[in-house]
Amino acid sequence: MNSLLLIILILLGGAILAYLSKRISPMLSSIVSFLAITSAALVFFFLANDQEIVKISLGDFVLEWGLNAYSWIFGAMVMVMATLASLFSIFYMKGKDRLGYFNLNFDLSVMAMMGILFSLDWVSFFIFWEIMTWSSFLIIVYNGISEGKIGIKYMIFSAIGGYAMLLALVVTRSQIHSFLITDLIHSFAGFSGNMQALLGLLFLTAFGVKSAVMPLHVWAPRAYADSPMSYTAIFSGLLSKMGIFGFGIMLIAVFSHSVDGTIFVYREVLAWLAAITSVIATFYAVIQTDAKRLLAYSSIAQLGYIVMGLAIGTKLAVMAALFLAIMHAIYKGTLFMVVGAVERQTGITDMTRLGALIRKMPWTFFAALLSIIALAGIPPLGGFVGKWMLYESLITSDHYFLIILAFLSSTAAFLYSFRFLFGIFLGQEEKEFENVKEVPFTMVLPMLIGSLLLVVFGTFPGLLFKPLASAMSFLGMGDVSWNMSMLSNGWGDHVDTLDVINSVVIIFVLVAIFLGLKNRKRTRYVSTKDIHTSGEIPTENENLTYAVDFYKPFERAIAPVMKRKMDFYYNKFGEGLETFFDFLRRVYTGNGQTYAFYVIVFLVILIVFSQQIFF
Amino acid sequence: MVISPVHYIAVPLLAAFLMPLLAKIHRELTRIVPGLVILYLGYVSVVLMNQVMAHGTIVEVIAGWNAPWGINLVYSPFTGFLASMMTAMAFVIWLYSYRFKKVDSQPALKYFILFMMLVTGTIGIVLTGDIFNFFVFLEITAISSYSLTAFYRDRDGAEAAFKYLLIGSFASAFILIAILLLYTQVGTLNMAQIAVRMHDVPTHMKITILILFLVGLGIEAEMFPLNGWAPDAYSQAPSPVGVTFAALVVKAGVYGLIRIIFTLFDVHGAYEYLIVMGAITLVMAELAAIRQKSLKRMLAYSSIGQMGVVMIAFGIGTNEAVFGAIFLMFNHAVIKGLLFMSGSYLVYNTPNKEIQYLSGYGMKMPLISLFFSLGALAIVGLPPFAGFWSKLYILIAAADNQMIGLIALILGVSIVEIVYYFRVVGRLYFGKPSKGSIMQKPTYGGVIAMSLLAIVILVVGFYPDVITPYIHNAADALLDKAQYIHSVLPNADLSQIQNLK
Amino acid sequence: MDTIDYYQIMSIGVYGSAIGLILIGLYAVLMKKHLTKIVIGLSIIDAGINLLFIAIGYISNGTAPIYSSQGIDLVKTGTPMVDPVPQALVLTAIVIGFGVTAVALSLVIRLYRHHNTARIDQIKSLKW
Repeated sequence: MNSLLLIILILLGGAILAYLSKRISPMLSSIVSFLAITSAALVFFFLANDQEIVKISLGDFVLEWGLNAYSWIFGAMVMVMATLASLFSIFYMKGKDRLGYFNLNFDLSVMAMMGILFSLDWVSFFIFWEIMTWSSFLIIVYNGISEGKIGIKYMIFSAIGGYAMLLALVVTRSQIHSFLITDLIHSFAGFSGNMQALLGLLFLTAFGVKSAVMPLHVWAPRAYADSPMSYTAIFSGLLSKMGIFGFGIMLIAVFSHSVDGTIFVYREVLAWLAAITSVIATFYAVIQTDAKRLLAYSSIAQLGYIVMGLAIGTKLAVMAALFLAIMHAIYKGTLFMVVGAVERQTGITDMTRLGALIRKMPWTFFAALLSIIALAGIPPLGGFVGKWMLYESLITSDHYFLIILAFLSSTAAFLYSFRFLFGIFLGQEEKEFENVKEVPFTMVLPMLIGSLLLVVFGTFPGLLFKPLASAMSFLGMGDVSWNMSMLSNGWGDHVDTLDVINSVVIIFVLVAIFLGLKNRKRTRYVSTKDIHTSGEIPTENENLTYAVDFYKPFERAIAPVMKRKMDFYYNKFGEGLETFFDFLRRVYTGNGQTYAFYVIVFLVILIVFSQQIFF
Repeated sequence: MVISPVHYIAVPLLAAFLMPLLAKIHRELTRIVPGLVILYLGYVSVVLMNQVMAHGTIVEVIAGWNAPWGINLVYSPFTGFLASMMTAMAFVIWLYSYRFKKVDSQPALKYFILFMMLVTGTIGIVLTGDIFNFFVFLEITAISSYSLTAFYRDRDGAEAAFKYLLIGSFASAFILIAILLLYTQVGTLNMAQIAVRMHDVPTHMKITILILFLVGLGIEAEMFPLNGWAPDAYSQAPSPVGVTFAALVVKAGVYGLIRIIFTLFDVHGAYEYLIVMGAITLVMAELAAIRQKSLKRMLAYSSIGQMGVVMIAFGIGTNEAVFGAIFLMFNHAVIKGLLFMSGSYLVYNTPNKEIQYLSGYGMKMPLISLFFSLGALAIVGLPPFAGFWSKLYILIAAADNQMIGLIALILGVSIVEIVYYFRVVGRLYFGKPSKGSIMQKPTYGGVIAMSLLAIVILVVGFYPDVITPYIHNAADALLDKAQYIHSVLPNADLSQIQNLK
Repeated sequence: MDTIDYYQIMSIGVYGSAIGLILIGLYAVLMKKHLTKIVIGLSIIDAGINLLFIAIGYISNGTAPIYSSQGIDLVKTGTPMVDPVPQALVLTAIVIGFGVTAVALSLVIRLYRHHNTARIDQIKSLKW
């Protein structure tokens, strides 16, 4: 049997089985879901290859699925992170109701993502895209926090994106009579300028929604924060990457075959939008007090970087963007799992109330620490390499303003990174969390694997450069030179990251050994309150740390920027529309005679204008 | 006994008149007999559809008077498909209403007599090849619809029915005058012969007649601004009747409109008229739907909106578009049927059938809520459910005709549709359950009916090929005017016939 | 000025009164607020249309379209038969009109009992 079809069928079957097996035991449902995703992952890594083509003819359409170097990277990312998230999910979701429903949609989302990646034609691409949309909608509203309102917002924006894509692909078909993605790539150059502009705009809108680019991002913070964390791990980490996947196809493969004018404008506009997105979202992330929201905004900011890289479109920028995309999937997935673990053990995610969980949940802290390091872009972990390449690509392509924005947002990112670590794991011990314990092994394991991956890819980025280079040459970027652990910049200098990393690691190890030796035998367990400040002994409920009003000065500084949310305008717009609709529907007055009157008036109008209408 | 299209009309009509007698024998017979009749019609459909797919259009001549003198029934792939679809939906509706509201036998008897008349009328409209016969069936449908709308005494059914009757009388008056004028011009009532002689009619006369037909049938097809009656009638009629309106009555109206424009007349501008009016209908209906408080009224407006899309697609008029339109008619019948059926159980006990009381019903009525959500996903055209394919076909057809603005309009309105359907779905599953609401347990027949529809939605969604060959033939048959005339009047002179599309 | 064309005058009169009836009916339906008057208006429209049908089928000096020996004889002597089709249609239309009026009147009674008024502009519990 064809392995691509097998993967889809395993995931589909797993979804249905998981739904049914909830009747036997809720836990079994999660285990079934995990097993399905794991076996799909095994099939993907050991059986799938790029020779296989699936052709399914449905109606008058032929759905074609295949695998290539570009989709393989994303596929590998999806399969690994989905496996980790579903493993995490087993215990995270334990005891919650409607597990069958949750796992059904979880598996369907994963299936839809794999389907998107396999699709060689737009019809199957769109089908899987929409399945992904509604299955994630059903999970967003799972917690029911706001009576489905954020779900509706998500659905509206997804629909705008999805329908933009639908419009684009039927227009494409009317031009080239084919739904194949490769046909679009090759015939795009032959379209008229207007057609190129239209299609470009539509496709970019479609993918912009999923990757939360600026004017289309308002659904994302709440949607990420309100879903169950084990799902957000793939929602923020992977579903958004489907937008990136599409951007890759459009910006790199399709637009490179185009008349330059419009597309050049699109690239620049998109890069600017992405940069602004990343700055604003970072600011928002800094002032959040809820860990989930913080990560959600941070996701939007990071996606901004990635889109920026793709929009710049030089070899180095694309490499950086794809590299960051993978890193982001891993560390953001891990971080959301961390928050999920904290939420499960303590019941809250409010950073002003949490604190000092480092002793209670050391493994979780360890995973969080590594991921945060990667997120902030500190060597030796993966994020550093990606950011380095991105900055360099911005400089070499003369986008000096963008690099200011990028620096701004990545500096501000340190603020929230630190707050995340401090607010949850450091600071003052709270009485209510005295009995908190580490999460079970099946929840620790995926987090640790995630952090391990970060270390590996950070130390040996070349492991990723090889498949990324082949993916980029598949997209038509030609040969991309790469070197295990070696980065080269525009002036021909080489930076051997391995040296940097080795030195950093050696310093860390030496310091650790030094501290360990120095403090040996003199260690004593000290609680936060076990101190004397000017001779006074702090009482139980005295606050010694800054968990509340953490970045007050910063908040005050950025307040003018934050004053009006985009969301506000959208809400006003929506309300205005509904009022207008309300006004319109008053033509249905409820009086039968009025309706009769309409009929006669309509008849008279038709007869009067009959010469103009019919001939 | 030879199976023939006339059974579609004779058998249910006979059953309707025999039912008072049968009720005297045993009370339960009033409920069982309609089912048996419809099952028999299903058998007829299967036999005839096979025959039609193999050998082409069947023309049934009634009482030995050949066309153009006698009345004939034309069972082409198109009319046959619609008749079979209506029969299938009638069967599902019968299952659903078998024990719907445990009423005593007297209302059940009335209900099923009227229902049988409605089935006769709608299928008759589709099958007949005679324009006056068409009018008669339209009136049979109309009178039974009025009565069924006012079936419940405790609602505002009478008000809705009166509005329906008022506007419906206008429709029949216009159609009657149109038929009269047509008769003075062509001297025949046979539709095929009318089509043959149409080119001799002076243009201004032709246009006047067409306008009368368009307005009259526009009322039945729920075209804006002629559809003021529709939301009231849908929402006040008993739910199975609401389903009947969506699946049978409005389909017959649209069929009439299409037959007049595609076969009888050869006037330029009629197709564009369909597109424009369809678009206006679509927009107005969907915009009205989003602000509805009552679930059934919301479904009614949504149904009108879908008819707008059907009209748009027919108006585009290419083979692809007509294919998409017929596909959408089928999907709409099935999906809106499921939505009305499940929706009516959801709002069974809520005040004024309002949506706001539905919070948390997903936990209390899991199966019904699942059906409703499936219907909602399908009707807005999300893959992999049935509604997606028809939408895709229609959009492709529109794109091939360079109607990008139109596509944008349809898709834009679809977003509105998504909003109001997903509001309900979100509320069903994730609202806080309110206390004290009493759940109505669905009848077994109802559950079976809804499951059948859900299965159809899934099967067509995953594998549309089960249905597409029939629809392809139907689209070809509708567009091939000469073939229609030839099969009714083998000796007619076809040289003057022109296909506008 | 030899003979007055009575046929001409009569046909104008018949057509005129048919159209007049339709317009009167329309006026009643659109302007009168009382439900019963609206129903009467609908009946008047029906009557007008039926009259129109008969008028259109009529042929000058025609005989009744009855298939009998006497009728055949008349036709043979050159007296034309009037067109039978409109007459047949009118029969059907009258029956249908009767049915609709009956349903309408029963609805009016129901509405009056339910709302305690028969004014159509006060029966608007279903709107928007």
